[in-house]
Amino acid sequence: MAEASLSRMKAPSLIGVVARKEFTEIVRDGRFKWTAAIMVMLLLTALATGWQKYAAYSAMQTAAQETSNRQWLKQGDKNPHSAAHYGNYAFKQAGPLSFFDNGIEPYTGNLLFMEAHKQNLAISRPANDMSAVTRFGDLNGATVLQVLMPLLIIFLGFTAFSGERERGTLRQLLSMGVGPRELLWGKALGIGGAAALAIVPCIVLGALAIGLLDLSSTADALWGRVGLLTAAYIGYGLIFLFLTLAVSALAPNPRAALIVLVGFWALSVFMVPKSAAEISKAVYPSPTLGEFQAVMKADQVRGLDGVPTAVKFGTYVRELMKEYNVDSPMKLPMYFPALRMQKLEEFDHVVFDHHYNALRNTYMAQRRFQDGLGLLAPLLPLKSVSMGLAGSDLLHHDTYTRAAEAHRRVMVERMNGYLSKAAADLNGVSNSSNYMTADEEVFAIVPPFAYTPPGLREVVTEYAGALLILAAWVLASIVLAAAAVGRVRRAGA
Amino acid sequence: MLEAIKLKKKYGDFEALKGLDLKINAGDIYCLLGANGAGKSTTINLFLNFIDPTEGTAKVNGLDVTQNPLETKKYLAYIPETVMLYGNLTGLENLAYFAKLGGHAEYTDADLRDFLKQVGLQDEAMDKRVAAYSKGMRQKVGVAIALAKQAKALLLDEPTSGLDPKASNEFSELLKRLQKGGAAILMATHDLFRAKETGTRIGIMREGRLMRELSTDEVSHADVERIYLEHMH
Repeated sequence: MAEASLSRMKAPSLIGVVARKEFTEIVRDGRFKWTAAIMVMLLLTALATGWQKYAAYSAMQTAAQETSNRQWLKQGDKNPHSAAHYGNYAFKQAGPLSFFDNGIEPYTGNLLFMEAHKQNLAISRPANDMSAVTRFGDLNGATVLQVLMPLLIIFLGFTAFSGERERGTLRQLLSMGVGPRELLWGKALGIGGAAALAIVPCIVLGALAIGLLDLSSTADALWGRVGLLTAAYIGYGLIFLFLTLAVSALAPNPRAALIVLVGFWALSVFMVPKSAAEISKAVYPSPTLGEFQAVMKADQVRGLDGVPTAVKFGTYVRELMKEYNVDSPMKLPMYFPALRMQKLEEFDHVVFDHHYNALRNTYMAQRRFQDGLGLLAPLLPLKSVSMGLAGSDLLHHDTYTRAAEAHRRVMVERMNGYLSKAAADLNGVSNSSNYMTADEEVFAIVPPFAYTPPGLREVVTEYAGALLILAAWVLASIVLAAAAVGRVRRAGA
Repeated sequence: MLEAIKLKKKYGDFEALKGLDLKINAGDIYCLLGANGAGKSTTINLFLNFIDPTEGTAKVNGLDVTQNPLETKKYLAYIPETVMLYGNLTGLENLAYFAKLGGHAEYTDADLRDFLKQVGLQDEAMDKRVAAYSKGMRQKVGVAIALAKQAKALLLDEPTSGLDPKASNEFSELLKRLQKGGAAILMATHDLFRAKETGTRIGIMREGRLMRELSTDEVSHADVERIYLEHMH
């Protein structure tokens, strides 16, 4: 059709014309100067504090881990099993981009004590040291962007069509024969550009932080994470940009547009996320600490399959005696007390794994449920993705606790194993544990604690669903805006 | 250039336009007179395709406006009663924006300033923000936009209302210049004096119907007023 080709020919440059004028208009507006200044100030403050916290924690973690490792070796000559009780500490690595988004880190422990017979929970939650006020709103770059970037975009864009309609310039515009496509994309570009202006200082500071903290050397695929994180936040901004344009085009006047948009913001940034957390806990309830530990202790004694641990151990010893063709456990070629402690430890592991896995699965289910509610509020999937990429989410925490537990089992098994062989001839000798001492050389058969946090691929797989929901939101908001702006042409006045 | 064929517009039960036949050619300055609610603005909105006709056709340069909404606007320039511009931009920036949107990206800064000079805008005012402009100054920018668009047809809605006699006179001169350039002009107005002074034809509307058409060179000022009042009962 001649009509379509005419507008297509002019389309590329007209979008630029509309965008440039929109951008100029906004930047000269008083309201932009205020909102942008506040935004920049908050972002810089949040990033600077995040940077400082990360640097301090990283230094502490590295030094503390080294100290703990050294203490293990230099703990003084003692019986290997006593050494297993002396234990060692596992410190959690901070997420590579946690200076931007520290996710659940304030609420989860970053220190775990590894000792024989016990699988401990991580302790030393930073939140416990904070006052009630600071705990309510942990100010980090991610929170500022998640809460305020949409508001900034709404303030800059709510008059895009409703303001022009009220002022009367919309009639003038439409009489020029400008197509809805040029208006939509031109205004989107202009307003988006102005909003980006307020966020550029944040990006610059972020890049500076990454460089000065030398994060790329310690993290896997750091720039991949940064790229994906940037894309996610841009997507989130686009959602609000196009929703603002749609509402501005449909609303009868600017005030109505602002009320609807701020209402949606309040709903999707505060109300839905808060209730989502509560609802997910109701659908997938997790036990209290007391319940958890009580059930675990009970299962350790009676066994998961109903066969008491004591009975299982008796069966094991009888079979062992048959294998070595002896009539007493004291005649076995291994030091019996060590053997006994290791075997009981292994029975416990089955119980530990069962309960801790169930707990982890519950938390994961809660999180996935909340992501699903992201169909109502785009903030939910964004939060998940942001924490995941920053390395401050449940996935990263679980990797740490699992690694600590694995290391604990290695330590205990090696100490018990060494004792079992080295003291084989002390079977039956009373208080023989006092006669078997080991030194630093023996302790060194346990490697120092180290672990690899999840890589980018693992993170993306975990949050693929959330990313999809975000993408769907972007698409839906663009479609809505296109439809709304298409109607403007008809209504005109 | 501008043609209305049995044009009707109904809003529910209310008939705003009851079948209008109109033909305006290049060089015509057609003044549409009538009380508020007579259907003058409705006619202009129909040509601009801001509303759809209930029946009948509006044509611009032979093209039906409902079939060719974007293309017909290329031939039109619209100057409303109060020309609304972007307050934070200067007069020059406003002109540049609308000129580009009208499909004319080729104008240089000098070209645009020339347009503003032609319509009588002072040099000092060109780089001031439009928020400080008077109504007359805004209107001059509106005419400059129409000039820059090189439109074949102009639609004016009460252009001289609120203007002092000098500004009103300047505006008439501009209209005559546009007419000489070959434009067809449709002007809705209350200003009987201006209609006789500047217009080539006059149409008197009442309650959605075109009651009488006159050629201005056939009647005097007094005649115009008399005939107008006759039709207002």
